[in-house]
Amino acid sequence: MSALQTFLLVVDHDKEEAKRIADSVAQDLESKKITLIEIVQQLGEYINDEDPILRGKAVSFLTSVIKSLPPKYLSRQQIQVLTTFFCDRVEDGGAIAGLDTLQRLDRFTKDLAINTAHALFSNFQDLQSRSQSQRFQVYQLLNELMLKHRKALRDMEEISLVGVVDIMTGEKDPRNLMVVFSILKVVMMEWDISHYVELLFDSVYNYFPITFRPPPNDPYGITAQDLKDRLQDCLSSTSQLAPHTIPALLDKLDSTSPNVKKDALNALIACVHSYNPDTVSRYSITIWEVLKFEILNAQEEFLSESSLEALHGIGQRLSEGVTEISQDLPLAQYLRPITKECNEQLQEPQQKQAKPAQQILSALSSSSPVAFTLIVQTVVAPIFTIYQEADGIVKQRALLETLSVLFESAIKVFGQWTTRGGEASIENPLLEFKDQFSDIFGQALMGSAKEEVSFRVSALKGFLRLSTLRDFFQDNEVGLFVQYLDEILLKEESVGRDDLKKEAITALAEISKYKPRLIMDITFPAFVATLPDEDDDTNTTYLSTLDTLAKISVERDIFETLFRRLFSKLSVLLQKEQPGSVAYPRAILMTLLYVMDQRQMESDPNLDLYFDKIVVGLSRNVAEAASGRAKNQILADPSILDTLGRLCNLLVRSSSAQKQQQVAENNTTPDHERTIILSTYLLAGLSKDCSNSLPYTLPNMSDLLSDLVRRSLSESTEPATSLSFLRHLALLTNKFLSKQDLNIAEKLFDTLVSQDPQSLSPAAIRTIFWLAKSLVLRIAPTTTHILTSLLGLLSLPNQQTSLSAARGFAILLGDDDVLSVVNGAQVRLLAKQRVFTTVIPLISSRIRDVNVAGNDDASQATKTSDHIKPAHLTALAGILSTISTALTADSVAVRAATLDTLAVIIRDNGVAVIDQCGHVHSLVMRLLKTTEIKTVSGAVNTPRLRVDALKCLYLLATKQIVSEAAPNARAPASISPLLSEKTHVLRSLRFVLDDPKRDVRKAAVDASSAWLRGVDDAPEDED
Amino acid sequence: MAEVQNSNPTILNVADLPTRSRSTKKSGDYDYTSGIFAAVPNPADFLSSDSEDDDLLEEPIDEQEIFDLIKLISDPEHPLSLGELAVVSLPDISIKPTLPNVPNSPLQTVTVLITPTITHCSLATVIGLGVRVRLEQSLPPRFRMDVRIKEGTHSTGDEVNKQLGDKERVAAALENGALMQVIAKMMETCR
Repeated sequence: MSALQTFLLVVDHDKEEAKRIADSVAQDLESKKITLIEIVQQLGEYINDEDPILRGKAVSFLTSVIKSLPPKYLSRQQIQVLTTFFCDRVEDGGAIAGLDTLQRLDRFTKDLAINTAHALFSNFQDLQSRSQSQRFQVYQLLNELMLKHRKALRDMEEISLVGVVDIMTGEKDPRNLMVVFSILKVVMMEWDISHYVELLFDSVYNYFPITFRPPPNDPYGITAQDLKDRLQDCLSSTSQLAPHTIPALLDKLDSTSPNVKKDALNALIACVHSYNPDTVSRYSITIWEVLKFEILNAQEEFLSESSLEALHGIGQRLSEGVTEISQDLPLAQYLRPITKECNEQLQEPQQKQAKPAQQILSALSSSSPVAFTLIVQTVVAPIFTIYQEADGIVKQRALLETLSVLFESAIKVFGQWTTRGGEASIENPLLEFKDQFSDIFGQALMGSAKEEVSFRVSALKGFLRLSTLRDFFQDNEVGLFVQYLDEILLKEESVGRDDLKKEAITALAEISKYKPRLIMDITFPAFVATLPDEDDDTNTTYLSTLDTLAKISVERDIFETLFRRLFSKLSVLLQKEQPGSVAYPRAILMTLLYVMDQRQMESDPNLDLYFDKIVVGLSRNVAEAASGRAKNQILADPSILDTLGRLCNLLVRSSSAQKQQQVAENNTTPDHERTIILSTYLLAGLSKDCSNSLPYTLPNMSDLLSDLVRRSLSESTEPATSLSFLRHLALLTNKFLSKQDLNIAEKLFDTLVSQDPQSLSPAAIRTIFWLAKSLVLRIAPTTTHILTSLLGLLSLPNQQTSLSAARGFAILLGDDDVLSVVNGAQVRLLAKQRVFTTVIPLISSRIRDVNVAGNDDASQATKTSDHIKPAHLTALAGILSTISTALTADSVAVRAATLDTLAVIIRDNGVAVIDQCGHVHSLVMRLLKTTEIKTVSGAVNTPRLRVDALKCLYLLATKQIVSEAAPNARAPASISPLLSEKTHVLRSLRFVLDDPKRDVRKAAVDASSAWLRGVDDAPEDED
Repeated sequence: MAEVQNSNPTILNVADLPTRSRSTKKSGDYDYTSGIFAAVPNPADFLSSDSEDDDLLEEPIDEQEIFDLIKLISDPEHPLSLGELAVVSLPDISIKPTLPNVPNSPLQTVTVLITPTITHCSLATVIGLGVRVRLEQSLPPRFRMDVRIKEGTHSTGDEVNKQLGDKERVAAALENGALMQVIAKMMETCR
């Protein structure tokens, strides 16, 4: 049997074998054992067979052989012969693939490309009746020809143009259309289409709008958006299509479907951006006439936004290359009807239509400096007139806001003080009105009644924009504004929610970025002058002054000034015999802390100065105060030490390794107990590498740790100090203790836990939990043992002990400011989950058996789950029953924590999950009990509890479906598990509506309307 | 929906609507819970225990609360709220005892006067109904509602009032599915 015959037999079911045969024939060809002519002759008897399938197989044989040949093997002449052969047989299977292989060869000529194209166009008039994959092959071949032999096809001119269109007309398959659209785009852009504009336009526009929805699990992954993009590329490819596209797209805006309108607008935007400016100009006013309605009577927000984008685009295109401003510009003609319309709408600027008019002005004036100038020339003067004649402050306010919209555009077009480069070639047209703006906005801000907050806020925002606009105000003019702001902040009484003051602070902070000198010269002296020398308990206005200073001092130069001024205040205070309340120095330290926290201290060039003054200087003063050598006791106060500690911590963390080393060596455990507070913060700021330089750690930390434990156990220590001992202990164990030495800490833990239960004081329990925390967070090898020991503490007979132990679990998982990731503590990501999975099953199983101890366990459970991420909620069923029980607990805190946890569960899991666990009814009943002021059992629910319970009820009704896919879906398809509760819930809530507390009533209204609306048996029939 | 009747009404700024000032503190006091000093906890807060806020002060339902309940209802014509359109306003709400002669009676009557944006607004009845439904759903049973069109603001005000005041007609209107849908849509923005 010849190779051909074998091929014909196997090709259908064994592709690899067929390939192997073709390969071997190709090798024979190369080694000249057989000639190409002979192969073609062999085909003879099959290629004239009546059976098209057999013919196809025979042609595929030839194709497969050619494919297996090296690319340089075929001579020019052979290629020609083969091409002619395939072209003659183009309708037979395999021929297209053969042609595709041939056209990839370097020796494939332009003429051959033309012949191939001819063969395709003349033989595939009936292409649409063939299978999808055959059509795809044809399009692929055409596409390849377009890529490699475009000139050849282009020289065919209208023949190829009409040919392509004919061949694709009626195509419906998305995969094929993707190829077709890209071929057509090339034709539209590169062929002379002047006689065929309509034909081409129709060939693509027929597909508009695309309503394709990909089948589920579509292997090709083509989305509707892909098709829309390709189609849009075709429509926007050349200006010659404009007479057809633009009217057609504008027509589509009459559609009732927002999606169709959106596609039309997107296509329109694409056209505006790619057609040439002359064409855009020709249609600009027509487009405006139509889009006007989309903006003024906005149906959907996104339609109005897209329309504005289109108008903005036109403005940009018409500004291209324009340097001289003249009323004859196409841009000016385009803008004329627009500004006219806006001016009319702005006659009554407080009315609804003024808003879209503002948006239109904003979109167009930001399109280019020229457009901005033209608009300002026609719009600003009329606004001034209306402003002068305005009969009410509401109207004036709306006008100020309109002007602010223009200022915003000016910033986009001309830049801010800090904008680099991109200077506009023309002068800012607003400069002409500079003095008027300054007058109007200054008058509105400072000259109107103090109660007109929102009016003044509008004026302030406008003034601020002008102040940041590049090359607009002189420094003294911005300075005037800064003075106004200072006056508002320092002299005015607060009104309402203090919106004006908040805005004033924001404005100063904003100006500090552009004109720091003005803030330092004007604002600082004014503010610092109001700071008292000491707090004599009569006046605490210094707090708001410091607050403002902190917020405007984030810029580097300003911060340096702030630091110097505040530090000198502090130094004076420290020298006084009668320094007044410690609240004042503490506030100063907190101000510094706040600003340093906002800044990148690592890269601050003054870091060393701050380090020396605070970490070195003040620490020394603390030591003096502790030993009684200081003038006063400010630096011995625990709250001061805490704040100073945080400040030092931040500075140490930002400092170099060398400085840290220095801190480590000098940070000895102090003689005076309170200074441990500062010492702990310093330790927290040190990097782990300093562990060798810490004092008292040789040969190992054993003695140091034991000493700390001993100090922590003392009941007489004041709370702040004892917390610091605990943190110090935890820091050393968690961060500095090496892996080999871990057993030291573990031994300490075991000793503590195994004490006589009667002698376990609250302090001892705290120590146990802090030590456990430091070990559990780094997931020490004995973690499970530690957790089990902790749980053992709960079942101790002594009620007091087990209660403090239950609370201890809050210590275990609560976040701590000192033992934190920022401070380099070892906090393993899965530590919390580890605790959860170990502890919860034990608690859940116990809560059912032991009713007496139930309260303690429950409190612990809820405090624990407070800190658990929802993702960890695997044992949901167990938790829910725990929670339900916890809702009947006596302690208010327990119930409050329970409700918080419950809210998280409902929000993240929805009703369905709770229903699966079978808890809906009991849960709803218990929640309703919690909304009553006094329950039958006599327990009192505080207002906060009532509100929280109502919030849970609200969440139940609104979170029936958790999926994000259908936010508007009403009830789930199946009957809601809440339905049977609805009547009872609504009846009970009616009484809560009469609650004496307003917040409770508000929550009740929300909950009951959520149940009324959201809990339904089935969507009502619409008639 | 039918042709929009008043396409360009005047709009009030939301920030300018009357609100309850939450602060019971004296002006000039610094608020520790916001601002820069909030980030640092006072070390004295260490180990907090259960604290009962036994705030027994009663806060009776007042006009502002009624206003807050209805100001967010959307207008059936515009995507704006009744408060922004000044259809409802604080001075036009009053609460009086229903039976002034019985001093201990808990019954109260809420009167809300509605100002349509234009005098021939055919949707005035729908708006009135919406306000009524919202109040009925949100106030305890001891309250009576009286929702009316403000005198002189509507060409057929008396007729509308008759309809809004007639219990039977209100009940009949609420049976109407299409009408209830419009009202449900108006309520969607209440929160």
